Amino acid sequence: MSGLLRRMCDWLLRLFWATEMDITMIGLQNAGKTSLLRVLAGGEFTIDSIPTVGFNMKKVQKGYVTLKYWDLGGQPRFRSMWERYCRGVNAIVFIVDSADLDSHPTARDELHALLEKPKLAGIPLLVLGNKSDLENKISVDELILSMNLEDIKEREVSCYSISAKQETNLDAVLQWLISKAKK
Amino acid sequence: MSYSKKDEDAEQALFRVDRTSVFQEARVFNSSPISPRKCRILLTKIVYLLHTGESFPKAEATELFFGITKLFQHRDASLRQMVYLVIKELANTAEDVIMVTSSVMKDVSGAGGRAGAEQDIYRANAIRALCRIIDGTTVQAIERLLKTAIVDKTPSVSSAALVSSYHLLPTARDVVRRWANEAQEAVLSGSKSSGFSLGFGSSAAAPQGSGMTQYHAIGLLYQMRAHDRMSLVKMVQQFSSGQVKNPAAIVMLVRLAAKLADDDQQMRKPMYQLLEGWLRHKSEMVTFEAAKAICELRDVTDQEVAPAIHVLQLFLTSPRSIAKFTAIRILHKFASIKPATVNVCNMDIETLISNSNRSIATFAITTLLKTGNEASVDRLMKQISGFMADITDEFKITIVEAIRTLCLKFPSKQAGMLSFLSGVLRDEGGYEFKKTVVESMFDLIKFVPESREDALAHLCEFIEDCEFTKLAVRVLHLLGTEGPKTAQPTKYIRYIYNRVVLENAIVRAAAVTALAKFGVSAKDGASVDPEVKKSVVVLLTRCLDDPDDEVRDRAALNLRIINNSEQEVAEKFIKNDTLYSLPVFEHQLIMYVTGDQSTFSKSFELSSVPIVTREQALAEERNVKLRSADTPTLKAPTTGGPAKSSAGAATSTEVSSSTIANTQKHAQVLATVPEFNPYGALLKSSTEVELTEQETEYVVAVTKHIFKEHLVLQFSVKNTLSDTLLENISMIATPSDDNEATLEEDFIIPVAKLNHDEVGTIWVAFKRSADEAYPIGSFTNVLKFTSKEIDPASGEPEEAGYEDEYQVEDLELTAGDYLVPAFAGSWENVWEQVGAAGEEATESYALGTELKGIQDAIDFLGKKLYLQPLDGSDVAINATTHTLRLFGKTLNGGRVVAQVRMAYSGKNGVALKATVRAEEGGVAAMVVGGIA
Repeated sequence: MSGLLRRMCDWLLRLFWATEMDITMIGLQNAGKTSLLRVLAGGEFTIDSIPTVGFNMKKVQKGYVTLKYWDLGGQPRFRSMWERYCRGVNAIVFIVDSADLDSHPTARDELHALLEKPKLAGIPLLVLGNKSDLENKISVDELILSMNLEDIKEREVSCYSISAKQETNLDAVLQWLISKAKK
Repeated sequence: MSYSKKDEDAEQALFRVDRTSVFQEARVFNSSPISPRKCRILLTKIVYLLHTGESFPKAEATELFFGITKLFQHRDASLRQMVYLVIKELANTAEDVIMVTSSVMKDVSGAGGRAGAEQDIYRANAIRALCRIIDGTTVQAIERLLKTAIVDKTPSVSSAALVSSYHLLPTARDVVRRWANEAQEAVLSGSKSSGFSLGFGSSAAAPQGSGMTQYHAIGLLYQMRAHDRMSLVKMVQQFSSGQVKNPAAIVMLVRLAAKLADDDQQMRKPMYQLLEGWLRHKSEMVTFEAAKAICELRDVTDQEVAPAIHVLQLFLTSPRSIAKFTAIRILHKFASIKPATVNVCNMDIETLISNSNRSIATFAITTLLKTGNEASVDRLMKQISGFMADITDEFKITIVEAIRTLCLKFPSKQAGMLSFLSGVLRDEGGYEFKKTVVESMFDLIKFVPESREDALAHLCEFIEDCEFTKLAVRVLHLLGTEGPKTAQPTKYIRYIYNRVVLENAIVRAAAVTALAKFGVSAKDGASVDPEVKKSVVVLLTRCLDDPDDEVRDRAALNLRIINNSEQEVAEKFIKNDTLYSLPVFEHQLIMYVTGDQSTFSKSFELSSVPIVTREQALAEERNVKLRSADTPTLKAPTTGGPAKSSAGAATSTEVSSSTIANTQKHAQVLATVPEFNPYGALLKSSTEVELTEQETEYVVAVTKHIFKEHLVLQFSVKNTLSDTLLENISMIATPSDDNEATLEEDFIIPVAKLNHDEVGTIWVAFKRSADEAYPIGSFTNVLKFTSKEIDPASGEPEEAGYEDEYQVEDLELTAGDYLVPAFAGSWENVWEQVGAAGEEATESYALGTELKGIQDAIDFLGKKLYLQPLDGSDVAINATTHTLRLFGKTLNGGRVVAQVRMAYSGKNGVALKATVRAEEGGVAAMVVGGIA
């Protein structure tokens, strides 16, 4: 009986307070988007995931917030389609492999090209330097420099260094994302 | 009542759907949260639009597609199902459809983490959509998924995977071929599940029991192995042993077996045994298919076909109409090939004439018309006349058409059929029916000369009281062309002039033109009887007072031509006997109209359309009409290249039309070379003969062109060496000793330079001496050139080259090069005529075992001799003996008639005895010598 009551209560609360939010996860191939999503959704980390062809969609419930993640493929052929899935979302998450320095120039160019699109004006951006567990990774400050984040204007930008494998800093990421749901 | 009303409303709601409003509504896809019901309705509307022929422009389709991808966030099973249906439809128009691959794959693999039953609902849809959105490069990524899906225990999933693989095969052949084992397994497991359902009869297993996956799996396996005959044979034999339960799958096997038997003489016996076994299958569908396959085997013997006919005969008395219909339809078709074997069923078929189902009755009559002998034809005609009044026009048309084919086949029965036709012509009937009857009579006049006078008389009577202007005009035109050739042209003039007095303007105009023809032409080119001419002139002069402009104009023009002293002009104008080759004309017009904008810059070239004489046109028409009896049937699907079996029947008609077209084509090329202008008109061009293998250093092919006094050889040379440059290439063609005297080299036009992969043309011209009209023999051909190696570093050729020679195969100049096919109404007549006037030569040959059967030999002779087969002798009916009757003309116009008796045995191959009669001296011996 009490269970039923609590469920009723939950349902009512959700009816009035529940929010859904859309989050798009982009980044070059092999940055770790799909792996991060799996860990964020409460799954186990696995090393060998096949490249995403197109996109993955996952819903994750956190309290009264439902987070809808759109995890897009990072190969060059899919990059032109990122914009379609970034329109009108609550936040864009851009993931960089912080240990793969060679890829950074391309990542920077792709990111800035995307943010110039007028339809995406004002959408908060979260840049994540993934794979912080690796030896030759770079720090957050270095990443901000290398991604040229200082140049981005009129938009909320944050940058964290995380590791999907060791689950470091993931709470901060979630906090940041949920805070964007209030808007 | 209420239900139907609701249905009507739904219909109306859908009816108002239009593209723009649907596109506007697509906003629903982006709303949050998603309403599955609304989305599903909208998706249904999209599918409805696509199925009613509407198409979305690329941008809109892409927009819609990406909107739909947003729906993957919702888990509603039926929404997902609709999503897949729409994605499948949009996959061809929208861009970037590859985007959904990952999401679809998740559903296919069943990793959605939901109850199996719910997911099975849309797994099949997901697989079908997946194969549409995937491209050749990414197929490997889904290989494992599809392999597991093929052997899935849910039939719908397994079928979907098999069908998808079938569609993927053309794009990713190598990948899909690796799935053969899984497909094989699907066939076998299909039979297992079927056995299960039969044993327990539980309702849940019912869909599994259909075993449809077997059908799909066999279809896929066939596509995979289509090029490997041995493995196909193995497959058919393996599956025929009872593992396959699904009737549709067995029908597929029947078709495969029939195809194998048709393609390979050696497989014929084992395949026939399989087919015969299937005749006793418990499913009617399979029995019918097997019977049909046996009836359609090439050169089937009476003994082989007997069991099939027996089975069909049993079905004729079946209480179900559909079985009766199918059986009679197969028998009907077979009756055109071997009427005698169907004879045994005549008793049963005769009871079907009075069947209440008119489709069955009509087939029954037409079959009887075919199987009947001379005597029974008359009896049947009487029977049909009795019930013609009861049936509708469409059935009457079918029957009249059957009778028309019969007339062409048994010209001796024309009298009875003609009276039947004239009888029905007097009956009531609509335009289509009357048209068919009149056309049948036209055909009689054209192809059965004996019936001409009677048929014309009937037609004259018909136009006396004809309510259809169109038909009256056609009859008048025919009277105009055929009437003057008869013994008493005056008889028809009266009928025609009656039209001028009584009818409307259109008919009057046609009558005037017909009248005029009597004024200029007479029987067999003899000059016109002055009496007739005078009365025609009088009648035409009266027409000058006609109230209608067109009639007056025609009368005036024709009077002027008749009174003209130059007979030749009149003949040419009024009695025009040549016409454009209509099929080629039509084709070229279509090419012109559908071409891109640039083709319109210049006007249509009428001169490029070959002109044929009336004789040739008639020959083709007759061939088509005789064949129209057998309609094409659905054979096992063939991949790559047209089926070989149908080629046999087509070649002979092609011979005559293609020679003309071929010569026309080459005449244009030759006209561009000024040196050949003094040679006059091109008489004939042969087809291209290859003088080297395709893989050699220099690939040479030659075409022979015959002019009035000259012979021109056109060598096309291709340099296949990548590192050499050829310069100053010429061809030394030396006639063999025995015809050195008759052929004198005129000139050679060499090719200056040939780079890698370039094709050049060398012309070698000979003068044919007057002594011998048709020199035959062989040429030895040596290619002479300067070869220069290309420096691989700079890409420039070396300074100094060296002279080189390259001998290619000899070229044969044969009798066939001087012959063109021609048509004659009766081979017998020509044979006697030419026999009386010319000379005859006979020779026997053994063609050896290279030719597999009589039909091959017929095709071989047709290509070799360039003569037209007559009396339908180009289709082998008997597998062991055959008489081929050929007719043609030499380039000088002398007639050549040939009779070739052939015998075939598996051990000795084809042996033949050819007798040739020709009007010109020496030709008969030459043609006989040209066979081997």
